[in-house]
Amino acid sequence: MDKKQKKTMLIIFGVIAAVLLAGIFLTSGNGGEEESVQVVMRDAVLHDVNKVNFLGMEVNPGLVAGFVTSGILIIAAILIRIFVIPKFTMVPGKFQMVLETLVGYFTNLGKTNSPHLNRLMGGYIFAAGAYIFTGTMLELFGIQVVTTGGHSVSMPAPLSDINGAIMMGCTSYLFILTGGIAAHGLKGILKTLKEFSLPISMSFRLFGALLSGALVTELVYYYTALSYVVPVIVGVLFTCLHALIQAYVLTMLVSIFYGEVSEPDVPKLKTKKVKAVKA
Amino acid sequence: MSNLPLNINFAQIFMHLLNFLILFAILYFVLYKPVRNFMENREKTYRDMDDEARDNLRASEETKAQYETKISEAESEISQMKQKSRQEIEKNRDSQLQAAKDEAERIIREAKAEATREKDRIISEAQAEISEMVTDATEKLALQATAGEAFDQFLDAVDLAEERGSKHEQ
Repeated sequence: MDKKQKKTMLIIFGVIAAVLLAGIFLTSGNGGEEESVQVVMRDAVLHDVNKVNFLGMEVNPGLVAGFVTSGILIIAAILIRIFVIPKFTMVPGKFQMVLETLVGYFTNLGKTNSPHLNRLMGGYIFAAGAYIFTGTMLELFGIQVVTTGGHSVSMPAPLSDINGAIMMGCTSYLFILTGGIAAHGLKGILKTLKEFSLPISMSFRLFGALLSGALVTELVYYYTALSYVVPVIVGVLFTCLHALIQAYVLTMLVSIFYGEVSEPDVPKLKTKKVKAVKA
Repeated sequence: MSNLPLNINFAQIFMHLLNFLILFAILYFVLYKPVRNFMENREKTYRDMDDEARDNLRASEETKAQYETKISEAESEISQMKQKSRQEIEKNRDSQLQAAKDEAERIIREAKAEATREKDRIISEAQAEISEMVTDATEKLALQATAGEAFDQFLDAVDLAEERGSKHEQ
């Protein structure tokens, strides 16, 4: 690095430091002057204060985040379908490799955990994994929505909304049920109903995990002083990690239970009673 | 909006569900399935190529085995021919040796016969010469000496002739 480059670097660092200091001293010291931290935390859990207007209905911000997540994924999928997939080559390039790795991972997860019935299941866990991961990563961007009260709130992960988490848990359970029916008919329903606690456990696991992330992020951003540097570690790393982990856990659980209920019955061995030979 | 705890709202749950089902359908048909089909087709192509290569390898191995069989057959044929020619050579050599032996025996036999004839001829010539010498000696004696002396000389001459004859025979 020569002298000129060093000088440029120093100037850049100086400007960044000045901007940060200005941000700290010029903005209100306490932050969140309109809501106490208790209200923010309670609202993050219950979503009973900040509502968003959606087609004339008052809904939780998590639902809007769900629509935004789906919109992003659908647009990306359509663009990839139109511009990338037709140009796929036998020797994959970098982006093709990423896509194939993702699709291959979920396909293999399905084949490994449910070897007998997995064509549709691979697609389901791919969609669920993509939805959970992208929705959670949406927290990072801090996209603002205006509440019915006129406040601006950052968009939470769709599954940190209890309604979203219940939907995901119950849908996954119903999907597992369809696997049981496809493999065993009506008997498959009984097999799946044995795991009656599954939708509740999956729903609340997702809700708890994603809510904890949302709470930590809310807490960090509530105080202005914590809004510098700390979010790089707490916000980014924590969000990335639990986005990955929750996507992995749900897809793994769905594939395992789907494989369990779609497993073919092992025919019982007929044991012949051997009559005692009288001596 | 809802009296359920934790602000659970069925309308919002159904909206989440509708949102996710649309997302699932689009992701499945637009992204997941085409990529998976492409990967399966590629796998099938490579599997077919692998099968084809394996078939080619098997065919080439069969051809190699056929050639090796032919080579081994040719080698055994060559060794048989070699053995046969060696036997013929030995047979020829034996016959030639036998012919040479026969020729040698014939030559020896003829030489012996020739020698015998020569000996007989020499003996007969010697006998004729002796008898001629005896005749000459007798004539001389008869002319020069008395009858008794002549008779003694005659006897001496006969003895001498016999002695010579025996020497010749030896």
